[in-house]
Amino acid sequence: MTAAGIGGRFAIAGLGVTEQGLRLGRPSRDLRREALELALADAGLTRRDVDGYIGTSSEAFDDIRHLGLAPGFAYTLQSGGATATLSILNAIGAILTGQASTVVCMYGVAISGGTARVDGSKGGYGTFAYGYPRLYGFIGAGMTHALHARRHMHRYGTTSQHLGAVAVAQRAHAALRPGTLGYGKPITLEDHQSSRLVVDPFRLLDCCRDTDGGVCVIVTSIERARDLRSTPAVVLGVGTGHNMRNWWTGDVYDLHDDIEPAKHKAFGQAGITVDDVDVAALYDPFTISVIMQLEAYGFCAPGDGGPLVASGATRLDGAIPTNTGGGQLSGFYATGFTAVVEGLRQIRRESGATQVPDAQVALVSGHGGNGGIQNTWAHATMVLGVDR
Amino acid sequence: MTDRTLRPMDLVPDELDAPFWEGCKQRVFLVHRCVACDRAYWPASTCIDHGSSAMQWQPASGRAEVFTYTVVHHAYDRSLADKLPYAATVVKLDEGPFFHTDIVGCAPSDVHVGMRVHVVFESVDDETVIPHFTPDTDD
Repeated sequence: MTAAGIGGRFAIAGLGVTEQGLRLGRPSRDLRREALELALADAGLTRRDVDGYIGTSSEAFDDIRHLGLAPGFAYTLQSGGATATLSILNAIGAILTGQASTVVCMYGVAISGGTARVDGSKGGYGTFAYGYPRLYGFIGAGMTHALHARRHMHRYGTTSQHLGAVAVAQRAHAALRPGTLGYGKPITLEDHQSSRLVVDPFRLLDCCRDTDGGVCVIVTSIERARDLRSTPAVVLGVGTGHNMRNWWTGDVYDLHDDIEPAKHKAFGQAGITVDDVDVAALYDPFTISVIMQLEAYGFCAPGDGGPLVASGATRLDGAIPTNTGGGQLSGFYATGFTAVVEGLRQIRRESGATQVPDAQVALVSGHGGNGGIQNTWAHATMVLGVDR
Repeated sequence: MTDRTLRPMDLVPDELDAPFWEGCKQRVFLVHRCVACDRAYWPASTCIDHGSSAMQWQPASGRAEVFTYTVVHHAYDRSLADKLPYAATVVKLDEGPFFHTDIVGCAPSDVHVGMRVHVVFESVDDETVIPHFTPDTDD
């Protein structure tokens, strides 16, 4: 089978999303247990149908015991914010090679209370190895993404107001989406501009917040998915990239993600161009992420991402509705699963007041693994579609 | 400027970078260079074209250009509260590699992309010397 032949042969047949929010007061593995049960119920499957397990936020070994599963394999995958889509890619690989027919990809953590994600004491810069930048006060993902934003402003004249336009547009979506951080709370550009500077050019409203929550997706063949309870969301294509490529060329700060090879693979499998994308769910821990990804995918020319968003293009009535659930900025932070969930909801017609009418193709992105000598390393792109 | 609770070797994965920090004690800024192709790297690296056999730590000019930066207004750790605001900066060394650092000797608001800078060494204690960068006088 050629790589292009993979597109359209696999589907997400089950989706389970728990409550997502600040300090839910529930253990991580209880969130995973609920997410699993929601996904199984959605698909009309039982625990015994699950023959493959990919964890993304925990040790898989004990997880499957607690969850009551007996799969043929279970392992934990960790590649930062790209992990969500990479887990689906690995699930497809397992099915293709005969290891399983029904694979659970699992996320679930309680990170918003108690232990801080950023250990600012010793040995760490966002807890990743290579912490010498910590000597100079580099801690966490905000600073590393701000390095991209500064370059973008320097090269293209992008402004804080452009960044603010991302925050305002996504909050407008979240304001209409129950269960998100921004539900019922729209903001204005003035609100953005008056929020305090955190890591210049980022203000408070340029940054997402960690939330607790669980997400489970069930991957299977398109044929099997059609026999199950829920509406299949077809995986039309998946692609990967890695920013180390751009580290060697010195372009790493000017390229937020290594999107080009990922887009080439994913769009090639799907047989689409950027013009075919009806809705985008982009990994967005900080506002600059949306601007730079819109450019890298070709929704506009390099440097035009700020004006594009400021023109309203990412709103529901715009050319490319983006992060229609509020994204990580205003929705919830389930790392890469935030974008996966919204892509699925759009294809499943479950996006409520921010449903894009007749959305046929959804673009999902994830990036991450930041820390140490550079920001974001791994990237994954996924194209989801309606079963025709 | 330096957070005095930290030592470089607390923060790097292993001893492969130790020669760099030893060099700082002698007030010499080193890069890891592949002598087969003359390409310079930082931190300790393996040449993408020639592997590890030709890698050597060699003195560098200590001259660089501000490539990108962020002025930090929020203390992500209590030890940094007194330091705010500061310019967490990535410079591009004249030899090619990026280096994470801060800019001393000017206000954070004066830091800008393209600013020419050079290394200065700070003795934190008898065993620790940390390199910082400061603007060239004619920038």
